[in-house]
Amino acid sequence: MAKVAREMVEKAGVNVDQLLELLIKNASAELTTYYYYTILRANLIGLEGEGIKEIAETARIEDRNHFEALVPRIYELGGKLPNCMKEFHDLSACPPARLPENPSNVMEILKVLVEAERCAVRGYTYICNLTAGKDHRTYDLSLAILNEEIEHESWFSEFLGEGPSGHFMRRGETSPFVSKFLK
Amino acid sequence: MKKFTREELKRYNGIDDPKIYIAYKGYVYDVTESFLWKGGRHQAIHHAGLDLTSEIRNAPHGEEFILKFPVVGILVD
Ligand code: HEM
Ligand SMILES: [Fe+2]
Ligand SMILES: [Fe+2]
Repeated sequence: MAKVAREMVEKAGVNVDQLLELLIKNASAELTTYYYYTILRANLIGLEGEGIKEIAETARIEDRNHFEALVPRIYELGGKLPNCMKEFHDLSACPPARLPENPSNVMEILKVLVEAERCAVRGYTYICNLTAGKDHRTYDLSLAILNEEIEHESWFSEFLGEGPSGHFMRRGETSPFVSKFLK
Repeated sequence: MKKFTREELKRYNGIDDPKIYIAYKGYVYDVTESFLWKGGRHQAIHHAGLDLTSEIRNAPHGEEFILKFPVVGILVD
């Protein structure tokens, strides 16, 4: 644990135990999303599905990166991941992104994807609000993740016919915002 | 419709009863089936068995998430 780092955050008036719980819940959301997106991606097939497969893969890899980037901050602040993965799954900040009943319906899969991203956008916006001007490192990290979640939401919403997102797919490396936390 | 006092509502906090209820704008909602209210807690911040009407202000979402749950009663003072 980074003792003084934690002390500074406490002194700024943040309830660090509550913040830690939120960070762990969001780390769980990332890792479980990585798992569920694997299944969603595998089912994005056929003329409609194939075009979305690569975008789902990028979102999947970036969510795993988000998990990797959150973990060091959790330990720095004196928290830890649960020993039991079942417990970790069940405390996720977002509901499981389960494969829809009819897996051949690409629109239904897209809805699951966009809802998962929207849940993430809400969660990181909240953590940013909680830490802004108080816990600079968690804020910086959450903002980096939020930037990527907003792009994920945009990609999928476009396919649902909600209008242009103004974004282009990733060119080259994944996680343009979060990568500095992964080095 | 069933009437709940604040005192009666407390029992549905996720610990003292298998049912998990929250009050919002005078109505009592059953969130037992929600993945995000397990154990009567929501996002490490909120507790069930309480009137959460004023807490929604800080939430990163609107009331549409609450209104989709079944109403099981009204809150009386
Ligand atoms: C202030 C802190 C809060 C945070 C950080 C928070 C966060 C969230 C998030 C991330 C979701 C998932 C949204 C999605 O799927 O896109 C959610 C859902 C929900 N929230 Fe909150 N929320 C807060 C406050 C509240 C309050 C005060 C209430 C009740 C008055 C509430 C009731 C709900 C309900 C009923 C759901 C839907 C659960 C489900 O679909 O199973 N939230 N919340
Ligand atoms: Fe993510
Ligand atoms: Fe995402």
